[in-house]
Amino acid sequence: MNEKELIGELKSEFGIEGDIQRDRRIWITIEKENLLKVCTFLHKKNFEHLSTISVTDWPKKGTYELTYHLWSYLDKIFISIKTEISRDKPEIESLTQIWNGSAQIHERELHELFGVVFNGNPDLSPLFLEDWNSAPPFRKDFNWREYVRGKYYDRKNEREKPYFV
Amino acid sequence: MVTKAKKLKRMIKSIWIFNWFNSCGFMDLIPVVGSRWDMERFGMIVTGTPRHADVLFIAGYQTSKSIKRAKRIYEQMPEPRVVIALGSCSMTGGMYWDSYNTIKRLSDHIPVNLYVPGCPPRPEAVFEAAEKIFQHVLEMKDE
Repeated sequence: MNEKELIGELKSEFGIEGDIQRDRRIWITIEKENLLKVCTFLHKKNFEHLSTISVTDWPKKGTYELTYHLWSYLDKIFISIKTEISRDKPEIESLTQIWNGSAQIHERELHELFGVVFNGNPDLSPLFLEDWNSAPPFRKDFNWREYVRGKYYDRKNEREKPYFV
Repeated sequence: MVTKAKKLKRMIKSIWIFNWFNSCGFMDLIPVVGSRWDMERFGMIVTGTPRHADVLFIAGYQTSKSIKRAKRIYEQMPEPRVVIALGSCSMTGGMYWDSYNTIKRLSDHIPVNLYVPGCPPRPEAVFEAAEKIFQHVLEMKDE
């Protein structure tokens, strides 16, 4: 299977317009309701490897953009699936039922860094941020410098004054 | 009763080290371990477990997660124990002074005997710190 055949199949199956960026590199944009269907379809087409999941924060648009990167060892095709979810109520279907181990750890990390809730993920406990009690740190409206000054530094301390300049 | 003299005698044979390094921390100590500066000629050996170690070397920034493990390691070490913090990250946070997840001052969390400044510290500085350990043992209280 090559890129054009795959795009044709995606179009006939789901009506998705794919974009071939260059050889063996495809971008598609889908609705979040279709995510599980499209991913199950692609998994059957030998996309065995979920490389990573990434979240991009768009505060002005009020959305999180999730990007799933998949790789097929058989056809040597790299496909990136983009989908958008609401920023205020970030919830999406978990992919652990398809790519069990690799999806679980990425989703767990994104849950602690962006606060995205992955429905169906068995373990979303904090990964690096133990005892974290503030807003998710990778959101663009999280003022981490202010947080650090409040948590670690004292303005009255003569030695720590330079941190407040 | 464990006197200073006894403590010193225990330690003076050789300093056994346990390493707890985050991020680029071990880069600081590789030349000290390697053949050019070779810490083993002074009897400094890296042990496999904190229960055999006299000295704890901590380098690099500690995150809020790893500091808990560092505390456990410290508690497992037998008396007399000495903590040496290497590098500027353990002193002030270094270049991570505004990171939301790293410990800024190590001595807020575990008792540090000696700070070795530098990013990374020179091997000579590490040896000088190791030499000053004996002075610190003399300053310890009798138990």
